[in-house]
Amino acid sequence: MTFPFQPARRRLGFLIAATCVGLAAGSLPAHAQSTADLAAAAAKEGKLVIYGVTDNEQANHLIREFRVQYPAVQVEYSNMSTTELYNRFISESAAGASADVTWSSAMDLQVKLVNDGYAQPHKSAETAKLPEWANWKNEAFGTTYEPIGIVYNKRLVPAADVPQSHADFIRLLTTQADKYKGKVTTYDPEKSGVGFMLVTQDKQVNGAGFADLLKAFGGVSVRVQGATGTMMERIASGENLIGYNLNAAYALTRAQKDPSIGIVLPKDYTLVLSRVMFIAKGARHPNAAKLWLDFVLSKKGQEIIASKADLYAIRPDVEGDTTASGLRKQLGDALRPVPIGTGLLTYLDQAKRLDFLKQWNAAVKAK
Amino acid sequence: MLQTLPRRAVVALLALSVFFPLGLVLWQSVLSGPFFMPSAQLSLESFVFIFEDPDFWMATRNTLIIAVGMSVIAIPLGAVLAFIMVRTDLPGRRWLETPILIPIFVSPVVLGFGYVVSLGPVGFFSVWFEALFGHVPWNIYSLAAIVVIAGLTHVPHVYLYSSSALRNLGSDVEEAARLSGASPFRVARDVSIPMVSPALLYVGVLVFFLGFEIFGLPLILGDPEGHLVLTTYLYKLTNKLGTPSYHLMAAVATCIIAVTFPLVLLQRALLKSAQRFVAMKGKSARQRPLALGPWKWVALAVIALWLLLTIVVPVSGVALRSVVSSWGAGINLLEVLTLDHFRAVFEEDVMIRSILNSILIGTFGGALAVGGYLLVGLATHRKPDGLSRLVDYIVLTPRAVPGLMAGLAVFWVFLFVPFLAPLRSTLFSVWFAYAVVWLAYGMRLIQSALMQVGPELEEAGRLVGASRARVSLDITVPLIRNGLLGAWLLVFMIFEREYSTGVYLLSPGTEVIGAQIVSLWASGAVDVVAALSLINMLLVGTGLALALRFGVKLHD
Repeated sequence: MTFPFQPARRRLGFLIAATCVGLAAGSLPAHAQSTADLAAAAAKEGKLVIYGVTDNEQANHLIREFRVQYPAVQVEYSNMSTTELYNRFISESAAGASADVTWSSAMDLQVKLVNDGYAQPHKSAETAKLPEWANWKNEAFGTTYEPIGIVYNKRLVPAADVPQSHADFIRLLTTQADKYKGKVTTYDPEKSGVGFMLVTQDKQVNGAGFADLLKAFGGVSVRVQGATGTMMERIASGENLIGYNLNAAYALTRAQKDPSIGIVLPKDYTLVLSRVMFIAKGARHPNAAKLWLDFVLSKKGQEIIASKADLYAIRPDVEGDTTASGLRKQLGDALRPVPIGTGLLTYLDQAKRLDFLKQWNAAVKAK
Repeated sequence: MLQTLPRRAVVALLALSVFFPLGLVLWQSVLSGPFFMPSAQLSLESFVFIFEDPDFWMATRNTLIIAVGMSVIAIPLGAVLAFIMVRTDLPGRRWLETPILIPIFVSPVVLGFGYVVSLGPVGFFSVWFEALFGHVPWNIYSLAAIVVIAGLTHVPHVYLYSSSALRNLGSDVEEAARLSGASPFRVARDVSIPMVSPALLYVGVLVFFLGFEIFGLPLILGDPEGHLVLTTYLYKLTNKLGTPSYHLMAAVATCIIAVTFPLVLLQRALLKSAQRFVAMKGKSARQRPLALGPWKWVALAVIALWLLLTIVVPVSGVALRSVVSSWGAGINLLEVLTLDHFRAVFEEDVMIRSILNSILIGTFGGALAVGGYLLVGLATHRKPDGLSRLVDYIVLTPRAVPGLMAGLAVFWVFLFVPFLAPLRSTLFSVWFAYAVVWLAYGMRLIQSALMQVGPELEEAGRLVGASRARVSLDITVPLIRNGLLGAWLLVFMIFEREYSTGVYLLSPGTEVIGAQIVSLWASGAVDVVAALSLINMLLVGTGLALALRFGVKLHD
């Protein structure tokens, strides 16, 4: 920050004022105060209801630590799919109230809910730490930084074949179409909302290369599937060899147990998805919800996300391989986080969506 | 047999339980958005959308092929299996009963995945076969494979219905046929099976219905080559437009109802002659097993082949997957053996809870459901009037709605009906959804058992002055105890594996195994899914074996 030149007297006045503020802040730290207030108010509410798509096992790491810090708040965590979450949330909201907090990787659906007025704003020292693209209107917050990569079978794909960029990937599929025919897999954009979002991001980011990608998919008769689990399983077994647009966070968890899984984050650009969290407007336990959101975005919460929950931390001041800063060291400017905002709503328009799917099907299913 | 007032109350409650959720589905199908949103308007756009979608027609065609194909495979095989198991002296048949029922209580998603591990392009059977013969002649992802697997895995349903009917038959007629020189096969074809034809007709229509409702198998096996059926099409619609499109889903469900409802009419017409088959008369109906003689080898071979294809192959796939960290082409299985997946199951509270909840809902919930079905059965027993006809229609309708949609409708009921709301996050709502969706199954078992009770026994009871309730309690119910036991077992197993119906009703504390499997599946923990499924299979298998022991004792 730079200050314009000021006359000495006014500068003195500024100094005094600043000192006073500093003193006041010293005796009553503004942030700590509000957290304590929040914790007290949350303790009175005594409970917190979260709907999330993150597996129980992973979410439990966060919940356990939250309970250590705030034992007075009971946490009720429901794990469900992105579609179920959306359905349940809007139905229950229409009937009265739903979860206090929702946490989903379907960024577009989360933004739609916020856009439709289902969220309430929250501003704190923790939300201020988020990059700009990950905070939309102080209502929708990105909590993770999950890179999207190419996953392959280490046993069966020779090192020379492993693509390092999107261009490499397209080249591999076109030059070795016979070898990889029926062996490449990706999300079915008709069945998976996340898959649809990723492939439309590709279209925006990759530009001219996108048409080649679709053509290459068509050339190897790409196998489309609805869920990450089935794709990963088929890659590990060798039924498929390469998977495109898989969440590296999931693949990494699997790779720790299974040496046949290899992951590449493309050097030209790597899409990054962020699990979006918002506090429901009609939350029954709004203070507990705020406390939870702050906790997830806190340094401690983010460290748990990076080290224990096998997701990637988004907060820039958390270090390690599975963090945004770690990825930045590795990939630099190639990282392309999907910004949280109205841009995600484009393809929720029925006509546009069907149009894209038509284009996809025409290219991919061409024999 | 119930008195007029309780009878009407039972029917009214039944009608409400079925038509309220169903009405929501029909209403939703003619709206432009979710029914609870102020922006929803009356519109037929959902029907226009699906009728213009080529996927819908492809799915309809595949569904018909599967429904017909699996009926053709499952009904004769199931009937023959029931005959062999119930009426003959086949050695070791007590031991066979539990494995035969495995496909009923294992989620089809898991079975389908088991087939992928064993018979898929790099499945271990396929790899062995290829090493021996040079190439693999089957393609597990083809429509034909899906039809065959669907047919084979539905044999147990037919088996259960026909065996429960066969158990209630006296064996005098069969013995007469055998004495006059008929082979066991001839006895089965010309005597026993025609005698249980009401039960077979029911189950025939039910299997055909199941063909319309089949979801897990085509989800796993149809995905790689894009074979859609109506339920997977419906599932696809939840995401196709980005936000879940209730009106489109409801429109597909309405179409399924429109196809299946005429079948109910057809079935009723076929069953007009059911009275001909009254077989449990006041006379002694002692059963003596038929001596198979050398035919026992043929019977054993048929059963062994079916067991191999339907149970050994997929279950070994699941079992293998649960103890290895990786599998497939170029893997030495001995090097990747591990027990980590089982450890993962037992370390999570949620998993333990889901196992306990599943047992609870299967045993107590199952018994409760059978109790309810029995009340409905007694309300229509020996009362061929309008009310009974109505019940027959009501009973079959919920099965026409795919589980996912039915579950969503029940969820709405519990959400928007004020006095039900507090029950929504308890196991009761899950139980209610299961009980309504599987109404047809429990009811058919009970009704085909009831139908075989000779009217003269009940008339005798009435003549000596017993009330209708007394007759039911002292004559009818004790006579059909085998049928009731069979119904309880069936319901127990089906509740144990069900998941799609309960998806929206689950909350912390009410998790069940089926739902746990699906949510783990989506995020990639296929290994834990395999371990959890295997634990479930062992648990249910043990429970089943115990129950059958108990049941068999009742027979002797």
